[in-house]
Amino acid sequence: MRFDSVIIGGGLAGLTAGISLQEEGRSTAIVSTGQNALHFFSGCFESLQEPPQRMQDLFAGAGVRLHYREGVRLMPLGTFRPAALALADIDLVPVPHFADKVLIVGFAGFQDFFPAFLADGLAREGMQCRTVQLELPELERLRLSPSEMRSVQIARTLDRIWGKVIREVKHLLREEDAVVLPQVFGLQDPSVPEYIRQGLPVRVVFTGTLPPSVPGIRTQLLLKRRYEALGGTYLAGDEVVTAHIHGDVVHGIATRNLDSHCLEAGHFLLASGSYFSKGLKSTPFDIAEPVFGLDVVHADDRNAWYDTDFFADQPYMQFGVKTDTALHPLRDGQPLTNLYAIGSVLGATRPEFGFGAGLAVRSAFAAVDQILESL
Amino acid sequence: MKYQETTRSTHNFEECMKCTVCTVYCPVLQVNPLYPGPKQAGPDGERLRLKDPFFFNYALKYCMNCKRCEVACPSGVGVADLIQSARIRYDKTPPKLRDRILASTDFMGSLARPFAPVVNVVTGLGVTKSVLDATLKIDHRRSFPKYSGRSFEAWLRRREKEQAAFPEQVAYFHGCYVNYNYPQLGKDLVRVLNALGVGVQLLDKEKCCGIALITNGMSKQATRHARHNVAVLRKAVVDGGLKVVTTSSSCAMTLRNEYPALLGVDNGDVRDAVTIATRFVFEKLEKGARLRFKPGYHKKVAYHVPCHMERMGWGVFSEKLLRMIPGVEFTLLDSGCCGIAGTYGFKKENYEASQAVGEALFNRIRSVNPEVVACDCETCKWQIEMSTDYSVMNPISILAEAIDI
Amino acid sequence: MNTKEFDVIIIGGGITGAGTQRDCAMRGLRTLLIERSDIATGATGRNHGLLHSGARYAVNDPESAAECIRENKILRQIAAQCIEPTDGLFITLPEDDPDYQKVFVEACRRAGIDAEVIDPALARRLEPSVNPALTGAVRVPDGSVDPFRLCAANMLDAKLHGGQVRLQTEVTGFIREGDTVRGVHTRNIRTGQEEDFYAPVTVNACGIWGQHIARLAGVEIGMFPSKGALLIFAHRINNMVINRCRKPSNADILVPGDTVCVIGTTSTRIPFEECDRVAVTPGEVDLLITEGAKLSPALFSTRILRAYAGVRPLVSADDDPSGRNISRGIVCLDHESRDGLRGFITITGGKLMTYRLMAEMATDTVCHKLGVDKSCSTAVTPLPGLEEPASEKGALICECENVTAGKVAHAIDQLEVSTLTDLRRRTRVGMGTCQGGLCACRAADRLAQANACAERERNDLADFMQERWKGNFPIGWGDMLREAEYTQWVYKHVLGL
Repeated sequence: MRFDSVIIGGGLAGLTAGISLQEEGRSTAIVSTGQNALHFFSGCFESLQEPPQRMQDLFAGAGVRLHYREGVRLMPLGTFRPAALALADIDLVPVPHFADKVLIVGFAGFQDFFPAFLADGLAREGMQCRTVQLELPELERLRLSPSEMRSVQIARTLDRIWGKVIREVKHLLREEDAVVLPQVFGLQDPSVPEYIRQGLPVRVVFTGTLPPSVPGIRTQLLLKRRYEALGGTYLAGDEVVTAHIHGDVVHGIATRNLDSHCLEAGHFLLASGSYFSKGLKSTPFDIAEPVFGLDVVHADDRNAWYDTDFFADQPYMQFGVKTDTALHPLRDGQPLTNLYAIGSVLGATRPEFGFGAGLAVRSAFAAVDQILESL
Repeated sequence: MKYQETTRSTHNFEECMKCTVCTVYCPVLQVNPLYPGPKQAGPDGERLRLKDPFFFNYALKYCMNCKRCEVACPSGVGVADLIQSARIRYDKTPPKLRDRILASTDFMGSLARPFAPVVNVVTGLGVTKSVLDATLKIDHRRSFPKYSGRSFEAWLRRREKEQAAFPEQVAYFHGCYVNYNYPQLGKDLVRVLNALGVGVQLLDKEKCCGIALITNGMSKQATRHARHNVAVLRKAVVDGGLKVVTTSSSCAMTLRNEYPALLGVDNGDVRDAVTIATRFVFEKLEKGARLRFKPGYHKKVAYHVPCHMERMGWGVFSEKLLRMIPGVEFTLLDSGCCGIAGTYGFKKENYEASQAVGEALFNRIRSVNPEVVACDCETCKWQIEMSTDYSVMNPISILAEAIDI
Repeated sequence: MNTKEFDVIIIGGGITGAGTQRDCAMRGLRTLLIERSDIATGATGRNHGLLHSGARYAVNDPESAAECIRENKILRQIAAQCIEPTDGLFITLPEDDPDYQKVFVEACRRAGIDAEVIDPALARRLEPSVNPALTGAVRVPDGSVDPFRLCAANMLDAKLHGGQVRLQTEVTGFIREGDTVRGVHTRNIRTGQEEDFYAPVTVNACGIWGQHIARLAGVEIGMFPSKGALLIFAHRINNMVINRCRKPSNADILVPGDTVCVIGTTSTRIPFEECDRVAVTPGEVDLLITEGAKLSPALFSTRILRAYAGVRPLVSADDDPSGRNISRGIVCLDHESRDGLRGFITITGGKLMTYRLMAEMATDTVCHKLGVDKSCSTAVTPLPGLEEPASEKGALICECENVTAGKVAHAIDQLEVSTLTDLRRRTRVGMGTCQGGLCACRAADRLAQANACAERERNDLADFMQERWKGNFPIGWGDMLREAEYTQWVYKHVLGL
């Protein structure tokens, strides 16, 4: 099967590149080894400090609404973090003190949302807090399973009965001027968080939960749907096993599912992520890029991979594939001229693109521009 | 090799990062809170079962073996394989009569086929459905697949000579459905392949692939079928140098993946030769073979990727093939389980769950409003046809209809 | 309850202290146990969890071997709930001295250990994970023991006999009258509250830290801190203990325990100052894997969960730099006869296996000093079963280790939990594959609610994640590095810890 471009990795970087290329009329395929980091997305593009119009347009085309407002956001354990660009349902407030009295609403039996920590964090900012656990009969059936009262299962139910949530929370409100709710709204229907906001007479702040991330999964679903609607081929649950390289050009890749059936293309994009997604593979002796055998910037001494402090910036997270200025990765020191590395497989080797979601989007655009120019 | 360069564990259970992504995509969890979920039943449970089989959970039988968890897993864990193989290892409760009947698709087929007109009327009667519901717990709301009066095998056998005349040959693993319920699909395949200059042979007495036996707790019988089938495949592939095609995604997945993964039956020398018909045809066309299409053909087609097709990663072949047909207006449906999962949806205790799982797909089909739904799986076909007003065709049948000979 | 007068004060909440308290309490003494941290935090909780048959010591240290097998049989009777009677194999590999097996079996028989030479083929059948290249195998009555449960059961029995326990309480000095110890000054680690307790006899059962306690009392003991490193593999590979049939050396015991298995150990002398912060080096990790894989080749390619080290409380005897040849025998020092200090004894040396015997010796000395004439009955009285929550039902807090909310609530209410680490020891929360990734914040939320102190709990959560990381980074590659990346992402960027 032949495409204009084949993208390895179906996360934020891969989908951004895929959608951009399809929008320009290029045929593409995405090979995705299972689901991706969008499922653990906080909803905030941490390293994007300016509002990039191009990205907002691309997301809008997929039905993903973003907003830009410099401020802080409330984290699930009650701390505040600076933020600027986020999904529309993630609240960015100018200062931590966003209300005088806050009602924190959890759901009975939901363990992945932490009202005690939130209350403590808000109290430290001078806000008075009251915590309630909402008991909805529709959610009770989820509690029959000891492990499956997760954000996503709750969101599936609440997508149907959000009106009831509004009524129940209204009843609970006394003199609070804000409500904190977990991000368990709008898995299928992206408008639900907005309905909740409009339905309540006070400020609503949606706060994160333990993964899976409902806003992140919704984003993934919408981006993938957009990509496929544009004619993109999304090969889910497949894995690249070998690459056919001649000289400095990648000719094709073979995957586990398609075995002998080679995927050929003029350009290839490596958006395979870091360790978690197996874009980088570590052994006691080495850190390597497994698909193409690319050069990886890393320390040789295993001792230098870690900081003994859990909370420090970990050296291993800085490692990534070595690229030239055009994002062509190097293999034995030589660039592969029709391959581009984008997203977190770059680690922190290209600080100009930022990190996390910001790195994914920016490096994807940079590679797409070159592909479009090269024709 | 240096130590710890790779790590190994049964169906990769140790690669599980506890990221919970599988639980997002499990269709059973969405409707059945009694099911412990793929993470708990699969990799988490496996580790505990190694410590003590006491941790085996009888709710594992709620797993439909749709493999959506495996497609979603970012770590390559054989989640559904872990669950199914745990059932094989630890579940010693004998299957119910109902499950034995549902699982024995070929046995039931060979019994029912000679009396097809009577059987079809009888299984369609309200009173029969009530009796089946009350006695066997086969849900009365379920419509039964019709049995055909003449088997596909008999039909093709009478054409052996004619087929042998084609310059290229393939063997066809038709499966129980084509043989007993719907020979037309087999005939459609023969029409398409013949148009490409390929003759179709039967295998030397295939047996049911055994997927229904596996999911109904009859792994011993399934293993016997697997050994038999691998032997006849070997005869065709190794001795005869043939490719083997199927028109059922579940048969293909079972022959290729489930035999070694769940039943421990080695199929290494035949696995790569077993393929699905749409892939076989697509690859022929890609290599330059030509088909003539009827002028003015038009059909609005919505393609549903069956779970097992999704797991094999081959939906792309059916998609590309359908898109190649002039006059086909193609829509790819959002991938999601239809809820039937083979014999799962037939069981009274699963009926509601089965329909609830499929609801998203049914709604999507209604919103696309196609002339026909395309799908490579016979049980999806029953479910979609029973639950919506749309009819379902295998992509091969659509192709057979579109070509001009 | 508020009395500050006791018959005996025991310092140290490891297995020796707990066993001594139980024995004293069962002989009718009013006892107080003081522990600066939590139950079983020292060497008690940092070993293989092996129920020795004694076979390992049979050739080099027949006395220890005989003690071991006697105690092994006793523990099977009195502590069945803490023991898995797995049996063990001593395997001979092609590179090992083939004559050693005969010497070994002879020595076992002399020590009273039931050692049965079996066919290598039978060994492979009994324990499929064993190195198939083995040329000889001996079956011995090894097993695995849960040291935390054993320790907790001893303390519980002491409490049932009127004993008192103060955890998180540090001994800051001794109350002395001339050459007699009358009691101890203490300080609560959490609250800072200072308190004095009095007793005519004080027992120093602090393991390696006993040197420091003795010094506080004004006497010197020369401890020999010997670090032993171990690796935890992420699931059970073997169901029988596998040992190497040769002179004791590095990484030659593989023990199955609960959901995991443990390979160890090494033996390195370390300076006394390092006892509180022992770390496993890459060299030790490499050695444990390569040597361990000779017992069971699966270790070569099985995911590793943690690396950790304990410090053996050996007492200096000679100049052996490795510490391996020092007897693991019991040392019971009456400082009155040794140093002229009355009312103070030290019980040390020994090992997990012989804790009951150590406790008996210490208690005999205590009773002798107090003029109490009661004999020991710990060898014939079963330990009480640990209290379990009435209902095991409820949501799972820790999904890897199957720990329910009910179990966590019970531990928080009944089992003196002040930190997540305490909770982990009592429930296995955070000990599974994800190393706290999913459960630590859930459990922290429970603790924050129970103690109504979210701020302290947030710090405790950070400490817990740090403590998990400490055992993870020495083996930080492959799936462990993937897991670490994921967990660090979630805790730092998603949860905002």
